[in-house]
Amino acid sequence: MGIRIVVRNATLGATLKMDLAPNETIYDIIESAAEFWKKDPRAYVLRKGKSLLSAKDTVMEANIMNEDVLELLPDPEGG
Amino acid sequence: MQSFYEQMISVKEYDKDRFDRSKRIEWIDIGRIQSGRCLVVGAGALGNEVVKCLVLSGFRDITVADMDTVVISNLNRCVFFRDTDVNSGTKSEILAKRASELDPDVKITAKQMRIQEMEDWDFDIVLGCMDNISARLHVNAHSCYHCIPYVDGGTDGMLGKIQVVLPGGPCLQCAMNRSHYNVSETRFNCTGKSSFYAPKMAAEITTTSAVAAMQAREAVKIISGRKDMCIENIAYYDGISGETFIMNVKKDDSCENHMNEV
Repeated sequence: MGIRIVVRNATLGATLKMDLAPNETIYDIIESAAEFWKKDPRAYVLRKGKSLLSAKDTVMEANIMNEDVLELLPDPEGG
Repeated sequence: MQSFYEQMISVKEYDKDRFDRSKRIEWIDIGRIQSGRCLVVGAGALGNEVVKCLVLSGFRDITVADMDTVVISNLNRCVFFRDTDVNSGTKSEILAKRASELDPDVKITAKQMRIQEMEDWDFDIVLGCMDNISARLHVNAHSCYHCIPYVDGGTDGMLGKIQVVLPGGPCLQCAMNRSHYNVSETRFNCTGKSSFYAPKMAAEITTTSAVAAMQAREAVKIISGRKDMCIENIAYYDGISGETFIMNVKKDDSCENHMNEV
């Protein structure tokens, strides 16, 4: 059974709903959300509350649940 | 032995000690800070602010590595650079000279080199003030290998990030994903000459200053022996809302920087 989550764009404040299969990865979510918002080619991370999600983990391994809200953040590169 | 608060002093003697007010923060160990050896990688906006904070915090042995020269557009956020510095010497040299004026007891060594050329990693702490992912990965790998605590900073307009990497803990690479490597490859490939290309990003002093201050504060904690008080593992700063939140990073056991750990 699929899992429906909400991804929040930390920069725009916008949200989108996403249906996930348990074997999809956190990186799949990052890539799909960045594409949806037509983000610049830069580095992004995804967080759930106080945890930065490991991009290699599957949705199941990351313990992503129905109705979880994940936040897409640009990873600041400048110095 | 008398505690700090029990020491006998004459009137206003406390105003003769440069670090009197710092010493009033009980956990700060000025003795260890004054003997700590710091490497600051990058002498741009973050590098300027980090070195300023380190010197004023009491660090006396600082090495700054950067090979770039000053350009006019640096002057909106680099406290130690002047118009007369444009194209006249490297950032590391100028930063070392000007920051030394803050405290006559500080020794700041300028290394005019790419960080990939650095051979001596004999430091107690490394502070990353770079503007690209590949240099960060290089410094991260060397810090992990040499078991040196590493505090990385990054900015993007009004956003900022501070990551604390302690020996044995999750590192920068553990927190990265394919989007980081895609960006890193773009930087090297988009000129078509295998040379490095850094896009010009939004940057201003208030966010730079906030991020650098947090980096230096983590260095003060680490060198004072208070790793227990450090950020675990990333502080993310939003200069618009003024919010800072903490994110924990899971250590990636397949990360090449942790493969040889016992």
